[in-house]
Amino acid sequence: MDIKELTSLETSGKKTIQELTIAGIIFVFFIIPWIIPSFRVMDVLAKIMIFTIAVASFDLLLGYTGILSFAHGMFFGIGAYSIALILYHSDTPSGYHIFLAAGASIAISVVISLMISFFSLRVKAIFFAMLTLALAEFAHILGVQWSDLTGGADGISFTLPGIFNFGQTLGTLFNTQINGRLMVYYFILVIAVFLFTGMLRFIHSPLGRVLKAIRENEQRTIALGYKTFRYQTCSIVFSACIASLSGILFAMWLCYVNPDSVFHTAIMVNILLMVLIGGMGTLYGSLIGAGFFIVTENWLPGLLKSIAGLASDSVILANMADRWQLYFGILFVLVVIFFPKGVIGTFRVILDRRHQLHSS
Amino acid sequence: MKTDTLKFQTRNRPFQQYAGWIIGIGLFLLPLIQMDLTTYLTLTVAGISLGMLIFLIASGLTLIFGLMDVLNLAHAAFFAFGAYAGFTVLNLLNNAGWIDTASLAQSLFYLALALGAAGLAGGGLGILTEKIVIKRVYGNHLMQLLVTVGVSFVIVELLKMIWGVNDEVVPVPMGFQDAFIIFGVFIEYFRVVAIFLGITIFAILQYILKQTKLGIIVRAGVENQEIVKATGYNISWIFTLVFAAGSALAAIGGTMMAIFNQAVDPGMGNQFLIFALIVVIIGGLGSVTGSFVGAVIVGLSFNYVAFLWPKMALGVNFMIMAIILLIRPKGLFGKD
Amino acid sequence: MPDMVETKPSLLCLENVHTHIDQHHILQGVSMDVAAGGATILLGRNGAGKSTTLKSVMGLLPVSQGRIFFNGQAIEASKPYEIARMGMGFVPEDKAVLSTLTVAENFRLSMFRENEKTHKKLAEVLDLFPALKKFWKRQAGLLSGGQRQMLAIARVLVCEHTLLLIDEPSKGLAPIVVDQLAESLIQIKDKTKVILVEQNFRLAQQVGSDCFILDDGRVAFNGPMDELAKDKIMMKKYLGI
Repeated sequence: MDIKELTSLETSGKKTIQELTIAGIIFVFFIIPWIIPSFRVMDVLAKIMIFTIAVASFDLLLGYTGILSFAHGMFFGIGAYSIALILYHSDTPSGYHIFLAAGASIAISVVISLMISFFSLRVKAIFFAMLTLALAEFAHILGVQWSDLTGGADGISFTLPGIFNFGQTLGTLFNTQINGRLMVYYFILVIAVFLFTGMLRFIHSPLGRVLKAIRENEQRTIALGYKTFRYQTCSIVFSACIASLSGILFAMWLCYVNPDSVFHTAIMVNILLMVLIGGMGTLYGSLIGAGFFIVTENWLPGLLKSIAGLASDSVILANMADRWQLYFGILFVLVVIFFPKGVIGTFRVILDRRHQLHSS
Repeated sequence: MKTDTLKFQTRNRPFQQYAGWIIGIGLFLLPLIQMDLTTYLTLTVAGISLGMLIFLIASGLTLIFGLMDVLNLAHAAFFAFGAYAGFTVLNLLNNAGWIDTASLAQSLFYLALALGAAGLAGGGLGILTEKIVIKRVYGNHLMQLLVTVGVSFVIVELLKMIWGVNDEVVPVPMGFQDAFIIFGVFIEYFRVVAIFLGITIFAILQYILKQTKLGIIVRAGVENQEIVKATGYNISWIFTLVFAAGSALAAIGGTMMAIFNQAVDPGMGNQFLIFALIVVIIGGLGSVTGSFVGAVIVGLSFNYVAFLWPKMALGVNFMIMAIILLIRPKGLFGKD
Repeated sequence: MPDMVETKPSLLCLENVHTHIDQHHILQGVSMDVAAGGATILLGRNGAGKSTTLKSVMGLLPVSQGRIFFNGQAIEASKPYEIARMGMGFVPEDKAVLSTLTVAENFRLSMFRENEKTHKKLAEVLDLFPALKKFWKRQAGLLSGGQRQMLAIARVLVCEHTLLLIDEPSKGLAPIVVDQLAESLIQIKDKTKVILVEQNFRLAQQVGSDCFILDDGRVAFNGPMDELAKDKIMMKKYLGI
């Protein structure tokens, strides 16, 4: 295990800068709804927060443990569906239902992720990837076909209880309406910060360090006397729970779920792309990855359309503008081949190199 | 050394060798309790033909993995691409007014045209993909998985760009819309064609792998690339060839499935990828025989269960996969 | 000047060759001249870079610096299959046969071109190793260790080579098998130039005429085998004998 990598962001001088940056980011997320009272901006920020958590939880698995599980998006969907179903079926939705949903989704996630990790012990990594991919596809099909429970492809819409109810207005402050949606926004902010801190604690705990050792060299870690399977199980279960909680936040923000929006493999591919952009094994990269992806996802189609509008008679150009996801795919391939370490990772390599130059 | 002991064990205990087959065949007679013989035979024919279609896509996947140690998640995209290529050829023939009046022989000829076009298109796309992308990530499983996910994304978006996002109806040559009846069992001609094509391709693959020099080189390359290189073979071209062959198989499977379902849509690959993955996992990564047997198992069990308990069909395949993985973590025919 | 370099008289010539495996600097400037005829032995401790030298020559490991000439042609940037077609044969260490293939298939693989000449050659080779004929249809992985090593060497002999690189053929073999191996190697080196990596000094002495000692990725000694055998200090220092 590379000690420098572990401590590179923990040296005392850098630490204060790092803490200030984090505080600054949280402050920006806190203040923006007051500065720019636009629903679109708030929507993008909320999704960035939600996906930062989902992506970071996936990074725990991929970047810190070296396990590629395509079933991770499934846990996101499990979370989203558990809150949707509980609130949809309860006659008088109230605050405790949210906790009930959190409890239920964690319980389901723990059971399924334990089963998955049991199989992962028995099969090779590449087999594991296939197995989880098949499982994820299965979950999507189940979501569509088991329509008695899930409402099929049409999905379920529901209303949030108490202060989170979107229809409710509590008054105005500094020209900004304090309504249910704003309350949900801050709820997401608080939970996201809480979960992200939890994950940071997780990777810096002794357990997290063992996981890194497993990623670097599993045989050696076994030889050192660690029961690697137990540690890997811990990380699979932990990250599955976090992913399902981020799914709950996602469903709360949209007040609607359907199989395509939470179970589709495209979600998984998006999460993968976000991890890769930010950099595997760099928890902070998830914020950059999610930020970049969601901002471009929101504004790139419009931009392309306006470019295509310049030559309005060209059908091919209009077609190319419509297929903005194509550029994401190409970007994805390029990132994997040329920047496998992502933004934060590449940045760290450059910093390291400069450090080495100065010291020598 | 491990393989040595295994070989001798099976040789000394013939019963164990056949026990699996006996139990397996017994399980497949089980549905007879719930249905009459005619239904059973109809479902069996349908199941085997579905299995053969799945074999086409699974064999390419397992071939590429077996030699190149690359799990190609873009395989589903090659499948969809092939479906569209075949669809385009059939559409052209349809515009010429030849599809609706085709006799069985003419239908077969048109099918061959569509499959040939799909195979060439799929193989060509495979060569491009291997030369541009895959060759940069040999030896790194994680990067291979990620990069092929990206490629699949790109191909599917290109499909949408070229052919549009909607489902399209595939014109089926008239000769295939007929059926014949044997022992009261209603059998469509196209199912027979599918079974025949599947078995033929299985036989060709087996012949190439077991009997020809190319097959020896390929199998040797799976085991030890260093020796093959040092003997004077340009293994990178052999890799490209295998990747192209795997992609062509996926594309041919795509066209067959497009005719089978009489429809194409850009996302069709993912629906069948799940079958192919299950088949490859059941049969063992890298084994063509394994994916043949696996495909028959999946096709049959899917059809039986879909008839008895429609909603359970896919779930049963998952259960079979889980059980086989618990008994044999490397699949039925998997090697170390 | 380059023209002068291109026409080296020796069969194989390494000039200041450096090779890295991952981050590790294995060969740190190996230079050697190997003339045609007889057997040249590479000696040295574990990790001195003997196998890496062979693999670098064969093109299986990328050379990061330096030049390699084979028959006067520069080959340091060539692909392994190109080098093999120029007439260099390679027997990797650890009884490198294709264990999932049968003995017959192993031979068929090594016949790069299948014609009358190679078939005649095959018959000759099988006379040299009669045991292999007996197990013609058996999977190579089921042969004994000695038989597998014989097959590994025999399969390379089927093709016409000007230079054979053989990596530690005696490793893990019983002493009596090593003696048989020595006989075969002596017969081989009379026809084809052999570069042999060997830890078994007795075998090396029986087969080799001259030797190189590698230490820490550099050539530490070069001279006739007899001279080395007399030099007890050198033996102690580099070989621990």
